[in-house]
Amino acid sequence: MRIRVLMVMLGAAGLAAAQTTSPQATPAGRAAGEKIFRSHCASCHGVAGVGGTGPNLTTGVFYHGSTDADLYKNISQGIEGTAMPDQFFNGVQIWQIVAYVRAISAAPVKTKLPGNAAHGAELFSTKGCSGCHLVKGEGGVRGPDLSLIGSQRSVAHLRESINDPGAKVDKAYWVAKLITKDGRSRSGFVLNQDTYAVQMLDFADGLRTVNRSDFKDFGVDRGSIMPSYKDKLSASELDDLTAFLASLERTREKK
Amino acid sequence: MKKLAIGALAATALFGQVTYERLLKAPSEPNNWMTYSGSYKSWRYSSLDQINRQNVANLKVAWVQQMPTSHRIEATPIVVDGIMYVTEPPSNVFALDAATGRPYWHYKRSLPAYNVCCDAVNRGVAVLGDRVFVGTVDAHLVALNAKTGAVLWDVEVADRKTGYSVTGAPLVVKDMVITGVAGGEYGVRGFLDAYDIKTGKRRWRFNTVPGPGEKGHETWPTTGPHANSWKQGGGPTWVTGSFDPELNLLIWGVGNPSPDWNADVREGDNLYTDSAIALDVDTGKLKWHYQFVPHDANDWDAVQIPVLVDGDWQGKPRKLIYWAHRGGFYYVLDRETGEFLLGKPFAKQTWAKEIDTKGRPVRLPNSAPTVEGNVIWPGVQGATNWYSPSYNPLTSLFYLTVWENKGWYLKGDPKYTPGNRYVGSVPDIDMSDDQGYGAIRALNPKTGEMVWEHKTQTKPWSGVMTTGSNVLFGATGGWLNRSSREDGEAYFFALDAENGKELWRINLGGTMASNPMTYMVNGKQMVTMAAGSAVFTFALP
Ligand code: HEC
Ligand code: HEC
Repeated sequence: MRIRVLMVMLGAAGLAAAQTTSPQATPAGRAAGEKIFRSHCASCHGVAGVGGTGPNLTTGVFYHGSTDADLYKNISQGIEGTAMPDQFFNGVQIWQIVAYVRAISAAPVKTKLPGNAAHGAELFSTKGCSGCHLVKGEGGVRGPDLSLIGSQRSVAHLRESINDPGAKVDKAYWVAKLITKDGRSRSGFVLNQDTYAVQMLDFADGLRTVNRSDFKDFGVDRGSIMPSYKDKLSASELDDLTAFLASLERTREKK
Repeated sequence: MKKLAIGALAATALFGQVTYERLLKAPSEPNNWMTYSGSYKSWRYSSLDQINRQNVANLKVAWVQQMPTSHRIEATPIVVDGIMYVTEPPSNVFALDAATGRPYWHYKRSLPAYNVCCDAVNRGVAVLGDRVFVGTVDAHLVALNAKTGAVLWDVEVADRKTGYSVTGAPLVVKDMVITGVAGGEYGVRGFLDAYDIKTGKRRWRFNTVPGPGEKGHETWPTTGPHANSWKQGGGPTWVTGSFDPELNLLIWGVGNPSPDWNADVREGDNLYTDSAIALDVDTGKLKWHYQFVPHDANDWDAVQIPVLVDGDWQGKPRKLIYWAHRGGFYYVLDRETGEFLLGKPFAKQTWAKEIDTKGRPVRLPNSAPTVEGNVIWPGVQGATNWYSPSYNPLTSLFYLTVWENKGWYLKGDPKYTPGNRYVGSVPDIDMSDDQGYGAIRALNPKTGEMVWEHKTQTKPWSGVMTTGSNVLFGATGGWLNRSSREDGEAYFFALDAENGKELWRINLGGTMASNPMTYMVNGKQMVTMAAGSAVFTFALP
């Protein structure tokens, strides 16, 4: 969201963040926070914060810090280097959101995931996943790095990604298909494009810049190159793989 | 009058000193660039023609000034007799040798906490005599000695703690320095101020949101729960206006009403937000106004550059203003009266059926933010914005940066607290299903019809400049070095002003959000453009 990128939180965050606990930890404050959460956070963190393309916020685990001040900072400024965006809300509203996040994570329900993560790790290579995905430095580059995926997504999202990869494909993984005037065809992820050229990770050729003036045919496929594993895994294999992915966590920030 | 006497000497005796007389005749001194838009008429046009359509492809970097800042440069430099004065964001000033880019002095302001909506930026200085004037993000106006950078006076324009800042370049007229303010996302009450050049004492203030008893106050709620909404009504003035010396009128654009995206607390037209205003420059009294968007809920400020042209209008000579507004319409206004003469879309828009003969937009349904969200063209950054257009007297065309894009407008619950954002939700742009594109367009200013366009993949945040050899300089857009859904690009390019054909380009590799300008030093025409935190200057080998 461009406007979030634009609106760097300076003064507003500075004035309000001097607090260390949320002054909005009241029923009214939490209710107001919930309202904002539904309109501005649920698209990633799921309704009621159970996670989706963003992590589950109800588990009581916060990798980036769990004090009210940490939450304030992470929510207002976003988390550098991750998909967590900064927010264009005033200090009072941020504290309301903090109060709400605090409330939904106060009494985490511990559910043990079914599945055997060690077996999942084996399946990850034998089923071809590692040909496309990096995990802790090992694997291919035709899909996202999954090294920290367990702390970035909900378990439900991980399962869905395996069964139905095309459901929602991030722009970074759309595939450019192009034919140049000399008859050569290329395909790969679009890394960057401008008025004059397209820069791609060509699946065959690595990093390449192709000038638009050399295009004969150019299209972007918004589907996923990841095959669906819906009928290719048994129920227990899916559990194992999911347990493996969920175990790929960030190291937690020391208090 | 003393200042006239100085003026008469200017060309010879007081080399390096800008006088009001020189500012009046700025177009006759193309070696210099003495005001934000190059002249009081704000054409962003220079008659220099050493760089032309045949040789522009040979342009080379003459120098680069990398500034210590990490903020992006939005300034247009001022050049006077070989010295360049340019701001370093947030609120610092460099005096550079315009031939080499080497600094003479550097004014560095120590800043308290400040409130700015959209990065700590500054669009440049104004100069007069031996003084350089700069507005600051902590909402002060500062006069510096042009030879040393020493502070001559430093006055508070407004209280930074309630969300005011100064980001625009001031404008010098006679013995006054005029400045606007920013803060439309903080519920400020906007104004335009004039200060005495010598003492820094305020001469007048024009409140862009009229208070009780003032004309226009009736366009705000005057009773009921929102009777005080005018006090946080917005109407900032953060882009430099123009001046007509014959009419003695200052013409300036006024920004959005606050809160931006929820208009429920401010029933009425909300004058003089989203308007062009014409003030008597000696008194600050309103002569006329024209409101582009009554009761705006889309943040479509009228913070564009008023381009003043004396032209023929339907067979009669007339003093005109050409104005391409953020909402996507191009307007022609009468400069003496503010009368609306023409309003025609220059980009896709879905909010107005037309502008009626009185100049009032005829609203289409679904053109305001809703609780569920509403898709509207143009997006919140508009079909154009603050970046400068250019008028070229040789081609008689009006050039501007255009965004073809839509936005998703959401209505939230604004609550005013001093010094905090007061916006009422936040719209979304660069939507992944259709990010839109950018263009440099040439319009026939008499009809608003497009003559040519040069499309760009990204939506530029930079303005355009044209020259006496019919070369247009412009830039591509997007953000670089930041997390963003959009791919930024940073090409600075030259087009043929007659047909839009690209003649030259270079990748400068940093976010571009300013305006090109040109000057001449040691017999060489130089072209300057900022990218990221660096100022680049080009010349022929
Ligand atoms: C575009 C998707 C997206 C949106 C919108 C979003 N988040 Fe996040 N958020 C993420 C992702 C992804 C992470 C995990 C970052 C990481 O560790 O890599 C995250 C992390 C967080 C964390 C830190 C979790 C931890 O483990 O420390 C908090 C707290 C949080 N989000 C709250 C919010 C709130 C509150 C909102 C709404 C105001 C919000 N987020 C909106 C995607 C999003
Ligand atoms: C041909 C390459 C390829 C193979 C094989 C492949 N993937 Fe993927 N995967 C991708 C791509 C590309 C994406 C991103 C686009 C999308 O969301 O589908 C992706 C996305 C994912 C995601 C979602 C990541 C996120 O950021 O949310 C998960 C989880 C995942 N894959 C797991 C697996 C597992 C487990 C396997 C093996 C059973 C596998 N992938 C096999 C290419 C592949």
